[in-house]
Amino acid sequence: MENMTNNDVMLRLTQIHKRFGDLEILKGINLELKKGEVMAVIGPSGSGKSTLLRCINRLEEIDSGKIEIKGRVLAQNNGENVAEYVSEKESRNILSCTGMVFQQFNLFPHMTVMQNLLEAPVQVQKRKKEEVIPEAEALLKKVGLLEKKDWYPSRLSGGQQQRVAIARALCMKPDIMLFDEPTSALDPELTGEVLKTMRELADEHMTMMVVTHEMNFAREAASHVVFVEGGVIVEEGPARQVIDNPQEERTQAFLKNML
Amino acid sequence: MHTVVLMLEGTQVTLQIFFITLIFSLPLGLLAAFGRLSSLKLVSRFMEFYIWLMRGTPLMLQLLFVYFALPMVGIMLPDLVAALLAFTLNYAAYFAEIFRAGIQSISKGQYEAAKTLGMTHKQTMRRIIIPQMIRYVLPPVSNETINLVKDTSLIYILAMNDLLRVARTIVQREFDMTPFVVAAVFYLIMTAVLTWGFKKLEAYYGKYDK
Repeated sequence: MENMTNNDVMLRLTQIHKRFGDLEILKGINLELKKGEVMAVIGPSGSGKSTLLRCINRLEEIDSGKIEIKGRVLAQNNGENVAEYVSEKESRNILSCTGMVFQQFNLFPHMTVMQNLLEAPVQVQKRKKEEVIPEAEALLKKVGLLEKKDWYPSRLSGGQQQRVAIARALCMKPDIMLFDEPTSALDPELTGEVLKTMRELADEHMTMMVVTHEMNFAREAASHVVFVEGGVIVEEGPARQVIDNPQEERTQAFLKNML
Repeated sequence: MHTVVLMLEGTQVTLQIFFITLIFSLPLGLLAAFGRLSSLKLVSRFMEFYIWLMRGTPLMLQLLFVYFALPMVGIMLPDLVAALLAFTLNYAAYFAEIFRAGIQSISKGQYEAAKTLGMTHKQTMRRIIIPQMIRYVLPPVSNETINLVKDTSLIYILAMNDLLRVARTIVQREFDMTPFVVAAVFYLIMTAVLTWGFKKLEAYYGKYDK
């Protein structure tokens, strides 16, 4: 029984510390993400929530603590309490089950929508193009952009670009999807289409971790909410409980400002 | 008529220097740019020094150095090779700075997106960064390339018969200024072809922009 629950943990962070120079951004974060869980990470700007997400897939490196992804150790402390990472190659291997969506989309501008989707499966996974194309088309259809497959990103709206970015990440068949403020760079009228895509993904039981300012999304699409402030987790629990009935004073103050 | 034949022969020498310099200095410049951006301090310092040296002294001096000074330390190079060596090293330095600026103009997000998709650094450079960089560097590279056409005339000091030297020889022999005019027209034709070529390249690499 113990083993089974262990297998269900997709991501485990233990005592994560991260500093930029003299500034300690993360001050001992513990967190567990289970299979099929949608975790919304909320908190004021500068609280460290984006850094936390970026530490998971090694866009930032932690100073101390332990990161495990699907039971495999990405980084852990040595004798001096300093985090040591596995090799680049091993790290790529471990992280191959994660996908990420950025605030600024970061599509490859010199490639069409279809080429953006095919790039990693063909170059990284060494799959045959002909074999990936139907999957890419299915994903584009899912995000409602199949008819734009031969367009260059510059001709798409922000919302459309972000949906392509989601499809591009999904084309690598990840088990965990990380979203770093996916709607923050969008005009208000365009956030809906991106949130809808994410909601559908959540309904399909994709394991997701979403750093967001969208409280409605957190409340309705997330199973779990984590409130981060000052580099620590102040409160966490079932989404509706944390958002509708926060226990901590700081969470209450933050939510009062947001809603 | 004989004049034109002589000048076409001179043009051949000019074009030879031009193309061979370009073929070697572009990849060398890219390598130097990577060296300059390397996280290895020794490599980046060395490249910085090399670029400073090449950009900080006249190309003419570099030509003379390769031609006259190297033989003194026992390095004997054929005329053409000596000229090509100086040109290539000089132009690679300029291209290196252009490429460095181009690489640095690509946003961090592109590297991060490539990384989260599992691409190695090499794949990221080859598939994502360099293709985007090309578009940014085309205008300055076009500039340098046109400069190179004209700089080839410096090899007259190595007594090589390029277009301009041939023209001058005829002018001095026959007291007729026409060869200078013909030379000017030849240079203009060469730079016009280059300008047209780069325009096409820019259009091709800019097609993904609105």
